[in-house]
Amino acid sequence: MSTATIPASSRAGRKSLTFSGVLRSEWIKFRSLRSTQMLLAFTFVAVVGVGAFAAWVRGTVIDAIMHSGPAGPGSGTGESQMTLQQAMDAASAQGFSIYGTPIAGLQLGVLVLGALAVLLISSEFGTGMIRSTLTAVPKRLPAFFAKAIVLVVVSYVLTLVAAFATFLVSIPILGSFGIDMSLSMDGVLYSILMGGVYVAGVSLIGLSLGTLIRSSAGGIIVLVGLLFLLEIGTSLLTLVPGDFWKYVGQYVPSVAGGRMLEIGDKAAFISPLAGGMIFLGWIVLVTVPALVSLKNRDV
Amino acid sequence: MIEAVNLAKHYGAKTAVGGVTFTVKPGMVTGFLGPNGAGKSTTMRMIVGLDKPSAGKVTVNGKRYADHHDPLHQVGALLDAKAVHTSRSAYNHLLAMAATHNIPTKRVNEVIDMTGLAAVAKKKAGGFSLGMGQRLGIASALLGDPQTLILDEPVNGLDPEGVLWVRNLAKHLAAQGKTVFLSSHLMSEMAQTADHLIVIGRGQIIADAPIAEILAGTQQAKVRVRTAEVTRLSQLLGANGVKVECHENETLEVSGLDARQVATIAMDNRVLVYELTPLTNSLEEAYFNLTKDAVEYHSQEFTDNAPVPAAVKGR
Repeated sequence: MSTATIPASSRAGRKSLTFSGVLRSEWIKFRSLRSTQMLLAFTFVAVVGVGAFAAWVRGTVIDAIMHSGPAGPGSGTGESQMTLQQAMDAASAQGFSIYGTPIAGLQLGVLVLGALAVLLISSEFGTGMIRSTLTAVPKRLPAFFAKAIVLVVVSYVLTLVAAFATFLVSIPILGSFGIDMSLSMDGVLYSILMGGVYVAGVSLIGLSLGTLIRSSAGGIIVLVGLLFLLEIGTSLLTLVPGDFWKYVGQYVPSVAGGRMLEIGDKAAFISPLAGGMIFLGWIVLVTVPALVSLKNRDV
Repeated sequence: MIEAVNLAKHYGAKTAVGGVTFTVKPGMVTGFLGPNGAGKSTTMRMIVGLDKPSAGKVTVNGKRYADHHDPLHQVGALLDAKAVHTSRSAYNHLLAMAATHNIPTKRVNEVIDMTGLAAVAKKKAGGFSLGMGQRLGIASALLGDPQTLILDEPVNGLDPEGVLWVRNLAKHLAAQGKTVFLSSHLMSEMAQTADHLIVIGRGQIIADAPIAEILAGTQQAKVRVRTAEVTRLSQLLGANGVKVECHENETLEVSGLDARQVATIAMDNRVLVYELTPLTNSLEEAYFNLTKDAVEYHSQEFTDNAPVPAAVKGR
């Protein structure tokens, strides 16, 4: 390999460090890893696939309820079948809501994009890249914010597009059960638009955990614990006597975030807005320590 | 220009850098020499803010590195050839680094050509050899055409051609009036490249002087004399209060007199001398003497010392 003898020191144009530059840098970093591209493509296909399957399950459940369920209050004695609307309401109460179909594959996206968010920074700590990053951006926090923006945009857009694709794919599936899903149906558009908000929030939690823990495995384990295990753990608490324990489970990030995606009040203790605020609280709770840690710790 | 004032870094009870004060001036190559674990890398990391000083401060061109609005144009640093994401190509790595400062893609291609990376630029950096990784690190350091270049062990893993290239690069940039600060634990490397030397040992500055002065000042110059009349000559020389050592047959090593003075005494007393050679210290000897002293000086404070460097070999 031959080397130019002496560098021709061309003026590299005295440009300075700008936030838009840092943002562009993080975008280049994000898109230039083959593993990330493949993961996103796989996630998209999987989310839509799970969503389509969920649409079929919903159709089947509603169909079963309609044909075997007890008669609705309005029906006569000779007619033992419920109306379609009654069956849909009954299914919805059991978690098989039609309006939730576009984001039925959401948990998969949450898991993959949350892990990807942890990796976005923990892999920099793991490989030593973080030292290059923070030498170029010595104030440090702009690099975090740029990563956060890239993640939020990617998570939201990917989930939005996947939700809309799921919606389109689900129309003929549900149609075969005689169910007519459309954007004007109560809650459908809301689901499509809001699913990405939850995933973007999870990716912020993931980025913060990666920043705090600095290890890919550790960060992903804590993320899974926070989003999946905590919900299971607190559901066991409801067996403990006393009303207090029944409320605790409502405040874990996945349940509060899930409430944000639902419409109406249902049997839940907290409203969608309150759920969103609690979820936001969780994001702040992990992001602030992450920023303090990034700003102050040696790398 | 790099200015460190009482710069210190402690890790718990352990002191990595113990309050050092030094200035690295523009227009010359300043070598930063010290054994492994002496605090070279920690000092360099504090200059660019990767490590937070426990005490004291360090500025680059008058400001803390992080306070500059164009850090990559102020300082180009190679601190760790492994500071790259292993799955990203060299080209994309440099492109991402350049984007932060809005440095054009043209400059990215320029540093790739300069460092001889053109053939592997699109390959994953994780597959690079140590030497290629080092070239990539140097390419990132040069990206912003910086006023100050900081290179930590730049010749590690480079082939002879690469070593020569780094030396020429350092001298070339210094000649342009830039500040060049490079560390090494290899004394011979410093002797070939540096104009000025800062020697560090156990977190303390042991010497901070032009390289010639360090060579001359650390130990008295010796003269090697070969004569058949070893005993008589050593008595004659010894009478003048100088140190005479006899390591091998018919050979004396005289400290405290130069060759002319030895020759004069020998002639006055009609002693036949068949060799008279002035011995200048190699930088290596000077370095060992310096760091050995530092270790001895600190042996009360540091009970778990690393072994003292091997004694200077006889010539």
